[in-house]
Amino acid sequence: MASLRMTWIVATLLAGAGLPLGCGGSSARNPPANAASAAAADDDPMSGLAEHHRYHHHGGVTLFVAMSLDTLGVAPDQQAAVDKIHSELNALMAPARAAEQALTATLADELAAETFDVEKVNAAVSQVAVAAAAVHAGSADALDELHKLLTPAERAALVDKVAAHWAVWREANAGATDAGNTTDGYLAMDLDLTADQMAKIHTGLGDDMKSSAPLAQQEITAHLAAFSDAFRSETFEAHAINTESHANEHLAGWGAAHMAHFVEVASLVLTPEQRTKLVERLREHASHDAGIQGAL
Amino acid sequence: MNNAMWKRAISQIALVVAVAGAANFGCYAEGPEYGGAGYSDGDYPPDAYIATADPFYYDGYATYWYGGRWYYRNGGRWNHYNREPGALHAQRLHQAPGRRTYEAHGGRGYAGGHAGHVHGRR
Repeated sequence: MASLRMTWIVATLLAGAGLPLGCGGSSARNPPANAASAAAADDDPMSGLAEHHRYHHHGGVTLFVAMSLDTLGVAPDQQAAVDKIHSELNALMAPARAAEQALTATLADELAAETFDVEKVNAAVSQVAVAAAAVHAGSADALDELHKLLTPAERAALVDKVAAHWAVWREANAGATDAGNTTDGYLAMDLDLTADQMAKIHTGLGDDMKSSAPLAQQEITAHLAAFSDAFRSETFEAHAINTESHANEHLAGWGAAHMAHFVEVASLVLTPEQRTKLVERLREHASHDAGIQGAL
Repeated sequence: MNNAMWKRAISQIALVVAVAGAANFGCYAEGPEYGGAGYSDGDYPPDAYIATADPFYYDGYATYWYGGRWYYRNGGRWNHYNREPGALHAQRLHQAPGRRTYEAHGGRGYAGGHAGHVHGRR
C-alpha cells in the first residue's frame, strides 16, 4: 500500500506539472503597454502602417480614431453602424485631407523642379493645420455615438488601437527612442541614403525644425490618456474632455511641417535617382484615392 | 510490486491525468500549432501589429493572435494564454484574424511606377 500511496503522489505531481489546471490567462513577464517587442519583425501591414503615418497627418488624433475602426473587429450586427460613423469621420477630415494632398503634390513638384519655394510650401503647410483644427469639434457627436454603440471590450480595444497609432506615428515621424531626434523616422525610408547623406539631413532638418514649434508629445499623450479614460467609462461625452482641442491641429500641423522640412533638406543632398524615387513616392501619396471605403 | 499492483498504479495515474484533463475543459492541449512559433514569454504584440490586426473578443477582452499565441490586455499589461482556449481555437480555424495593409510593400517597391495603396485585408 505504501507503494500505491507513492504512486498517487507521483501521479499527482506529474499531473500538476504537465497539466496546469485551467487555461486562464497568464504571463511570466508583463512588459509595459505600448513598448515594441524587440523580437517582433515587421511584416508588410506593420511597415505599411509606418509608411502611411509618415505621409498622412491630416486628421490628427481623429485620424487615429478613424483608422482604429478599420480593425476593431466588431460583430456583424454592429458593422453597418460603425461604417456609418467611419464615413462621418472621413467626411469631417476631407478638407484636411485635401489640404494635405495639395501639400504633398506641391512638395513633389518642387522636388522634381529642383527648386524650393519656401513661401509656397509654408502656405500649404498652414492650410493643413487650419483644416485639421476644425475636425475636433465636428467629431464630438460621432464619438459620442460610437461610444454608445460599442461594448466595453470594444471600447478598450479602440483606445488601445488609438494609442498604438500614436506610438507608430511618433516613431515614424519623430523617432521613438529619442524624443529630441526629429529625423529617425524619415531616415528610415527606403531611399538608400548614405551615412553622409543621413548626417547632412539630420543636421539640416534639426536646424530647419527650429523655426517650427516642437512636437508637443507630452500634451498629445495627456490628451490621449484623457480620451482613453473617458472612452472606457460607462458614460462618455467628447465635449467634456478638457485636455485641449488643439491636439488635431498641432499634430497635423507638425507632421505636415516636418514632412515639408524633410523634403526641403533632402533635396539638397539626394542623387538624381533618389530624387526621382522620392518624387514618385510623394506623388503616390498625393493621389491617394479618397473614394475607396476607409481611405484616409 | 506484483502485476496486480502495477495495473492498479497505472490505472490510478490514468485517472489523475483524466481528472486534470477534465479540469482543462474547453482548452486545447499545447501542440505544435499553439505557442510553438519560437516566441518567448517576453514577446507581445507591438503597436504596429495592434493597429493593423483584428482582435477576437473572448472573455471580455480583445484578444490578438500573434506569434502563435493569443494575447490580451488587462490592466495595462499584456497577457497570453498558456493553453489555447477552445473558443479561440475554433474561431482561428474558422476564420483567420484579419490584417489591414495601408501601404503596399511598406512603401517600398515603387520602381515601375506602381505603388498601390492597399486598403484590404489578408
